[in-house]
Amino acid sequence: MIDLLPQFLVNGIVMGTLLAIPAIGFTAMFAVLRFPNFSVASHATIGAFAGFAANVGLGLPIELSLVAAFIVPAIIGVASDEVALRPLRKHGALTTAIASIALTIVLENAVRFFYGNDLRGYDLPLVRDWRILGVRIGPQQVENFLLAVAIMVAVFLALRYTRVGKSMRAVADNPALAELKGIDPILVGRLTVFFGMGLVGTGGMLLGVGTSIDPLTGFRFILPIFAAAVVGGLGSIPGAVLGAMVVGIGEELSLIVLSPSYRSAVGFFAIVLVLTFRPRGLLGEREY
Amino acid sequence: MAKFSFTRRGVLAGMTATIAAPYVLRVPAALAQDGPIHLGSLTPLTGVGGNYGPSMRDAIAGVIDGVNAAGGVLDRQIALTSEDTQTSPEAAIRAARKLIDVDGVSAIMGTWASSVTTAVAPLCWENQTMLFCVSGADSITLLPHKGYIARTQPNSKLQNDVATKFMIDEGATHLGWIGPQTPFAQGNIDNMTRIASEAGLEVDSLIYEADKSTYRSEVDTIMRSGADFILLGGYTADSTVLLRDLWQAGYEGKIIGPAYAVNQTVLDALPAEVLEGIFTWAPAPAIGSAAYANVAKILGVEVVDPYSAQCYDHANLAILAMAAGGSASGESIMENLRTVSQGEGTEVSSALEGLPILADGGAVNYTGASGPCDFNEVGDITGTQFLFQRIEDGAAVDFSRT
Repeated sequence: MIDLLPQFLVNGIVMGTLLAIPAIGFTAMFAVLRFPNFSVASHATIGAFAGFAANVGLGLPIELSLVAAFIVPAIIGVASDEVALRPLRKHGALTTAIASIALTIVLENAVRFFYGNDLRGYDLPLVRDWRILGVRIGPQQVENFLLAVAIMVAVFLALRYTRVGKSMRAVADNPALAELKGIDPILVGRLTVFFGMGLVGTGGMLLGVGTSIDPLTGFRFILPIFAAAVVGGLGSIPGAVLGAMVVGIGEELSLIVLSPSYRSAVGFFAIVLVLTFRPRGLLGEREY
Repeated sequence: MAKFSFTRRGVLAGMTATIAAPYVLRVPAALAQDGPIHLGSLTPLTGVGGNYGPSMRDAIAGVIDGVNAAGGVLDRQIALTSEDTQTSPEAAIRAARKLIDVDGVSAIMGTWASSVTTAVAPLCWENQTMLFCVSGADSITLLPHKGYIARTQPNSKLQNDVATKFMIDEGATHLGWIGPQTPFAQGNIDNMTRIASEAGLEVDSLIYEADKSTYRSEVDTIMRSGADFILLGGYTADSTVLLRDLWQAGYEGKIIGPAYAVNQTVLDALPAEVLEGIFTWAPAPAIGSAAYANVAKILGVEVVDPYSAQCYDHANLAILAMAAGGSASGESIMENLRTVSQGEGTEVSSALEGLPILADGGAVNYTGASGPCDFNEVGDITGTQFLFQRIEDGAAVDFSRT
């Protein structure tokens, strides 16, 4: 099996890069709002289906369909947060997190109501994988990888240089101090949910491209997304990227020594291992 | 505003009522000896088996409607209650409890997924309710079911035997098996390995985790083994992903999958070039039989799927067994199932044909839409036909029949 190591590594890097996008959205929302929003599962599904509607329904290319995959879950994310989650935040993070699980069930079934349970695929030309030095990689994988990297670069630049990004970082660091400085934490919270869920939806579509999507698409990724955020350090954007790579590559490399039926155990194992030796996560600054 | 307070008596009364509730709920059904006879259909109306459940239910309902129109059985009408398993053991257990405790059914018909049947079975035998299933896992009829399980689907060993021999006959030199963790996964691999070793062939297998959106690394692993004929062991969702990944990886060997997994949904979801040349196999209904014509008429179709044909048989067998035993209980169905399904009696293809013969004191041998419907001592059918199809230009075309 060791001869498959380069192949598994490539598969893991691509998967880790794709996982990083929703993990960034998840961890950004945690940093600002201070609760784990598990409704990212349904928003990833909504993004995948919004992209599907744009790609198959309207005939748009994948790159433009990603815009729909960003905007639709971003808007639904803000609306559902205002209605279902924000009123509960004063009761604590645990209450809000549990409510977010209920919300994801509602939204997932709303997708099922409109689209049914059938598998759906994007309108893409199907091509064989390339073989480079004995390692195979699909053209669509390469495109998805590059898109994911471009999105990550855009997120870093936005957080570092834009007014909104600076406000988000200020509220994440110290909400009370940020408010004293004239930053409206509620507005920043809304903006964070908008961009966070938008990223989650974009990630949901990128994860669905090249395979098939159904109403459980996002649910399948909730564990690796959560694991990536926890391993990297909840609230840390670079940590989410690092955590996603650890989980993505770890899941693939585990096949060398483990049966594929234990693949998801890698996410759990990574969480337990990191929390045992470094409770704040690999790049996290606060303990939770 | 009214005030509520807990008293010792109140709490005791409440606890007693809670414990007694299931028994009280069963009383109306038990006392209703003159009311309708209750039968239940428990098919997958949603979930991964949702493609099949509605017509399975309709086949059962059609048989019951016909018998009711002819006067019923044991001078009583039959009331059918249909529930949805959602192709989920948890949902199926809730539905089965409702069928048994509230509706008081004598038999539950049509459970599809092996995990669902395995979950529901103990409820049935503990409540003396007959369970007719279309599930394939070998382990099902090895349960301590006291005769309360009968399955019209060939068990997975018989299905696997047939598919493995087909692969060898088609010229395979190195067999592969790839599928998710299911109750029949390891059994199928062991069985396939035994048959292949008798023919001097190697087998490589891989059990993967279900519900993944990509199986690229699993495909790399199975391709590395050098298998030139791969048998898919999964369901529709994972098979769709797997077939696409195999094609993209450039796999050039042959592939065979169960027809319940590589079905029309897969044909619709994947491009024709990905599916070209893939074989499927399935227990085949007894095309050309009178029972097959009956169920085709009930459903208003020309081609009947195997599960609907089997459900037609479930309903006829339950009704005939009740008539032969002179009682509508689940115990009577269990005790008289083989009396009406095999032996020297007059061959019949429906309950409508058999009921007058039984009323006159005669014996019947039911031959159904799915095959002879002869059961061994543990409730497995002893034989059936299989149909192999090959996908050509995006459509499944008949290839051979055993």
